[in-house]
Amino acid sequence: MRVTDLAGFVLSSLTGHGLRSALSALGIAIGVMAVILLTSLGEGTRRYIVSQFSQFGTNLVAINPGRVKTFGIPGVFGGTTRKLTIDDAQALRRIRGVSHVVPVAMGQAEVESPLGRGRHVYIYGVNHEAADAWKFPVGQGRFLPPIDPHRQGAFAVLGPKLAREIFGARPPLGERVRIGGVGFIVVGIMEPKGQLLGFDLDDSAYIPVASAMRLFSLTELQEIDLTVAENEAIPAAVERIRTFLAARHSGEEDFTITSQQEMLDTFGRIMDIVTMAVTAIAAISLFVGAIGILTIMWISIHERTGEIGLLRALGVSRRGVAGVFLLEAAVLSLAGGLAGLAGGLAVEGLLFLFAPGLPLHTPVMVMAAALAMSILVGLASGYLPARRAAALDPIEALRAE
Amino acid sequence: MKASDLALFAGTALSGHRVRTALSLSGVAVGIAAVIALTALGQGAREYVVREFTAMGSHVLIVFPGKVETTGGGPIGGAPRDLTLEDFRAVVSRTPGIVAAAPLASGEETLRYGARNRAALILGTTAEFRQVRRVKMGAGSFLPRRDARQAGSEIVLGAKLARELFGPESPLGKVVRMGTWRFRVVGVMAPRGRAMGIDVDDVALAPIQTVMAAFNRTSLFRVFIEVRDKRLLPEVKERVTEMFRERHRAEDVTVITQDAMLSAFSDILNALTLALAGIASISLAVAGVGIMNVMLISVTERRSEIGLLKALGGTDRQVLLVFLAESGLLALMGGLAGLAVGLAAVALFTGLYPSFPASAPLWAVAASILLSLSVGIGFGLWPAWRATKLDPVRALTGR
Repeated sequence: MRVTDLAGFVLSSLTGHGLRSALSALGIAIGVMAVILLTSLGEGTRRYIVSQFSQFGTNLVAINPGRVKTFGIPGVFGGTTRKLTIDDAQALRRIRGVSHVVPVAMGQAEVESPLGRGRHVYIYGVNHEAADAWKFPVGQGRFLPPIDPHRQGAFAVLGPKLAREIFGARPPLGERVRIGGVGFIVVGIMEPKGQLLGFDLDDSAYIPVASAMRLFSLTELQEIDLTVAENEAIPAAVERIRTFLAARHSGEEDFTITSQQEMLDTFGRIMDIVTMAVTAIAAISLFVGAIGILTIMWISIHERTGEIGLLRALGVSRRGVAGVFLLEAAVLSLAGGLAGLAGGLAVEGLLFLFAPGLPLHTPVMVMAAALAMSILVGLASGYLPARRAAALDPIEALRAE
Repeated sequence: MKASDLALFAGTALSGHRVRTALSLSGVAVGIAAVIALTALGQGAREYVVREFTAMGSHVLIVFPGKVETTGGGPIGGAPRDLTLEDFRAVVSRTPGIVAAAPLASGEETLRYGARNRAALILGTTAEFRQVRRVKMGAGSFLPRRDARQAGSEIVLGAKLARELFGPESPLGKVVRMGTWRFRVVGVMAPRGRAMGIDVDDVALAPIQTVMAAFNRTSLFRVFIEVRDKRLLPEVKERVTEMFRERHRAEDVTVITQDAMLSAFSDILNALTLALAGIASISLAVAGVGIMNVMLISVTERRSEIGLLKALGGTDRQVLLVFLAESGLLALMGGLAGLAVGLAAVALFTGLYPSFPASAPLWAVAASILLSLSVGIGFGLWPAWRATKLDPVRALTGR
């Protein structure tokens, strides 16, 4: 049989039972649509999280006291009897490849404006380098001044949401605020930055680290953040930091170093697994769709026994007959796959219009994979019926007519 | 037509096309099995979390230092006013309805015994901790009862920590060192595994005053308060918050009930289970389309039969019922098969992982039967309706 003949034969048999073909393809279409939508949601979420993290720069490295991790977060239970100190932070500046060092001491306190409005928020004790290290631009005024980190200073920089909440329309720059009952002068307002893992960065205040330690009566830092210079390899720099700090702590590694890159990789892996699991569950529909095609092909062969006998009698080989039915199943499934792809993209378009915040991203690879999968599903579900058709004895088949 | 006639008619029609029937019901079976298995797993996860929580005492309030208005998570870091041992004593002694209350301070340090050492989480607390957190002892005794402000040199080790430090030796009565501090081991806790993200077998408990001095802490990390009766929880919570507000002249502690934490977790897991089951039930829609397709073919094939039925005085309603009974029966059989497969898969899973309490909830079993029946009837409606529209004369003459 020539290829054009084959194609014409398959097409006419599919269009001959238009409704039947459409319904079989619909099953596959629903499956492909579900897979496309869920993969897009997974991929979109992954990209969203990665962008959230990388807005702080991927060369950020955090050191926390203690080695016990709680829910993957180090330092929640506090450190050892040897503290992570401001001196540790200052000493780390000597390491090659380290560009910014930010000692961090944090706590919660009420910030009160002269208007009498107050708000309980996170207070971060940091130094002047925090804005650069965290890639955190200042909106008005300036960030904390460069002072000796051991010295306290009555300067505060407010997040934009906090400033709006306690000052309203009044310009906050130069005003006095009371943080935990202690007076500070507002020297700057940050640009809006948004949320990170439930922490609203716009609803917090920044004060000199020594002032924060005094305010919260802390004896150690909760974290030291470092940035590694652009041209340095991060793992090598992390190793130098580890060796250096352990030597300062009488040879004990009583701290945890986490690099932003490492965290990103971990998140990426977790998201990949979640996306894969959800997609696999959605792919059950594809499997059921395949069963649907199998059923219809089975019935179709039953109905077309005479036709198959005629083909065989006219000299078409067994393989030729099997090919006809395999092709039919594949075309049916591919049509469903295309319809599902179109439907999925259409739903994504609608979602984008009505819920623009939803992170959706459909990689071209996934679209190609969905189509390839639908062809494979068609071939797999056509295999049994095709074999049965090929096995028919031409004489018996013709007599059945 | 009688109901038994109807069932017989549908049954014969289905058993006449064995392969076709088996194939179309297997679609429903796959969908139902997936829904059942996923609901069981989700339910198991929820059950697991609930068990973790209730194993630690049920009517418990947890007090954190600090208060934040913007985030949902628990506070991290310090607060301007310390949550001190004096606060703890004053508040607990003057609040009625408390069964037991324990303060907690924490730090990490290396414990040494002879040449062996191991870094561990050191928790400072009092004898009441045993009651509040339902600690089970493996050997020896717990920390002795005494005033929280008094120092002491007793230490209770987690099972894994004791094994790592002492090997086969009995740790009871031995002295372990932590920096310059020395503690005498009075007990070893029974193995318990991970709870709330930390390995409780790898911690040590020591008197609170000593731990706070050793780590130079001025503030407690948490306070646990067990209340006599669940109904007293809101009242005690209110009273504790109020007393802290009076003592600190500001609201700078967060008091949450363990039940609130539990129900937050439980809600998330329920939503997750429903979402996964929902995704899995897309396959039921696909199976429904398959049934519709087969029923349409069946209607076309049996035109003459329908014609005869109508010629013999069968009403449209009866024809409709015949075909609905057929598709409903098809889907119901699929649903039952899927239920069996799903339950078998769950049983296999719990056989392999006995600690995970996966079981299909009764509502899911009932829902899956109803769901499969409604898939059959819902998707069978259109083919059945087409059957009723057939003209008996034309159907019988085959035109």
